[in-house]
Amino acid sequence: MNAEIQDLLVLLQMICVIIVAAYFITRTGIFTEVLERRLSIRNRVYLILFFGILSIYGTLSGVEVLGAPINVRDLGPMVAGIFCGPVVGLGAGLIGGAFRMGMGGFTAVPCSLSTLLAGLLGGAIYYAHRGRPVAVKTAVGFAVGMEVLHMGIVLALAQPFDQALALVNGVALPMTLANAVGMFIFAKLIANLLAERQTKAERDSYHDELQRKKAELQIAADIQQTFLPKSIPPLKGFDLFAVSCPAREVGGDFYDAIRLRQDHTGLVIADVSGKSVSAALYMALSRTIIRAMASWHPEVSLALADANTMIEEQSDSGMFVTLFYGVLNEQNRTLTYANAGHNPPLLLRAGSNDFVRLMPTGVALGAASDQEYGEAQVTLLPGDLLVLYTDGVTEAINSKNEEFSEARLMETVLKVRGRSSQEIIREIRDGIRDHAGDEPQFDDITLMVLRGV
Amino acid sequence: MTNAIGISVHMGEDGAVVSVTGRIDAASASLLDTELSGLIEGGERTIIVDMGGLEYISSSGLRVLLAAKKNLKKVGGDLAIAALKPFVREVFEISGFLRIFSVHDTVEEAARRKGPTG
Repeated sequence: MNAEIQDLLVLLQMICVIIVAAYFITRTGIFTEVLERRLSIRNRVYLILFFGILSIYGTLSGVEVLGAPINVRDLGPMVAGIFCGPVVGLGAGLIGGAFRMGMGGFTAVPCSLSTLLAGLLGGAIYYAHRGRPVAVKTAVGFAVGMEVLHMGIVLALAQPFDQALALVNGVALPMTLANAVGMFIFAKLIANLLAERQTKAERDSYHDELQRKKAELQIAADIQQTFLPKSIPPLKGFDLFAVSCPAREVGGDFYDAIRLRQDHTGLVIADVSGKSVSAALYMALSRTIIRAMASWHPEVSLALADANTMIEEQSDSGMFVTLFYGVLNEQNRTLTYANAGHNPPLLLRAGSNDFVRLMPTGVALGAASDQEYGEAQVTLLPGDLLVLYTDGVTEAINSKNEEFSEARLMETVLKVRGRSSQEIIREIRDGIRDHAGDEPQFDDITLMVLRGV
Repeated sequence: MTNAIGISVHMGEDGAVVSVTGRIDAASASLLDTELSGLIEGGERTIIVDMGGLEYISSSGLRVLLAAKKNLKKVGGDLAIAALKPFVREVFEISGFLRIFSVHDTVEEAARRKGPTG
């Protein structure tokens, strides 16, 4: 009874050595090369030595368990072959086999040969997998098969046959088991390592993607900011103010106030379809074209028609921009405008509580070729108020999914109609903020207010 | 808020009918884009988008429809739109898209295709 416990303890000790060896080798930098299948010659030599020594240990640690001598000499070369390739397997097998040969005995030749074969056959499996990882059960199955083969070789080559048969009878089962357990330990550790590496690779790529997205948002916001006017020119008889606050993912809103000829100023508010970098670039393009066309054409309808042609030529993937363009004549107080599919600006006349919508006179720019734009004119007297906005204002939602809406915008404007343009814009923004509460801002919010004074 | 968009495709004799329900905003527009691009790449030349169940469309949604229409035009096909609800119709109206799309009251009418409506 005591002897049996002693035997089991020795076996346990052997397993512990294998675990430590397996843990050690799989955590080295060399093994990273193994997993990535790019072993240098020098590291191959190291691995041959390591698994060769493991094979020698397998021979020396051979113990009698329950009356039968068992050893794990084949384990080192098997692992070397199956996970590190035929060269390392053969090398380790040669070392382990040569050591066994030197010990002599009637099974010297078949045992040495089996160890060599263990490395070679392991290498063959490695080769057959063509870069795919070897599954744990394949590796363990190979270990079992290899030990069965080992026994067969002993029976075939060792003389006298009677003795060989007696030996095989005694050791076949425990040796197969011991090598299978050893292989399981290695294969499991390596499988875990591969899984860890994959998890890490996925995490890294997710992280990279997140960083990239963040950088993209920043670039888009920077582009958009660059193409907004730095200041608004002072106007005679009018108080003009505008502001654009981008959403986290910018939506390509912009506004502009362009000094044209004497007493004439072009006013623009626009909203590009889509989001992020593509929207920001399209916004930059549109703003540049509009600026050029505004200076070129005294007539707003022609300015938009030409701008549409130029923008449409650049419009892949359905991009378009809704844009309101008006020329304010400070002398005779008229605003001549064309509206390319933009939310109608709201005109509130002094003394009236009803808003007039400056309706679209044509299709959004870039949507279709050869478009004509009508134009219209309004007169802006002192006390009259024109509110231009993008849909980020009216479509700002609260937690109940209710939009700020044109009605709430009008309500807010009516309450503060006597104030300066800057104050009116601040009140509208406060109104939107109160309405939205904790709901994130999904779209750019852009406002321009022109007040006759 | 709900970003729910529902897309179902029905292959009819007169082309594909894509029924869209819910909301098409910046977040959900790409789903419609994938569906429409898939149909066009799959050789579909006549597509009717049924918007009878659509509550909201943003400029991102219009962009997807416009891209599909332009891509279909290139290969000699066309995209028609049917059954706009009042809010969505207003978006089409203001942006001027009512003029460039062929818009119909019902899918059946769209299938008979009369060309762009005023």
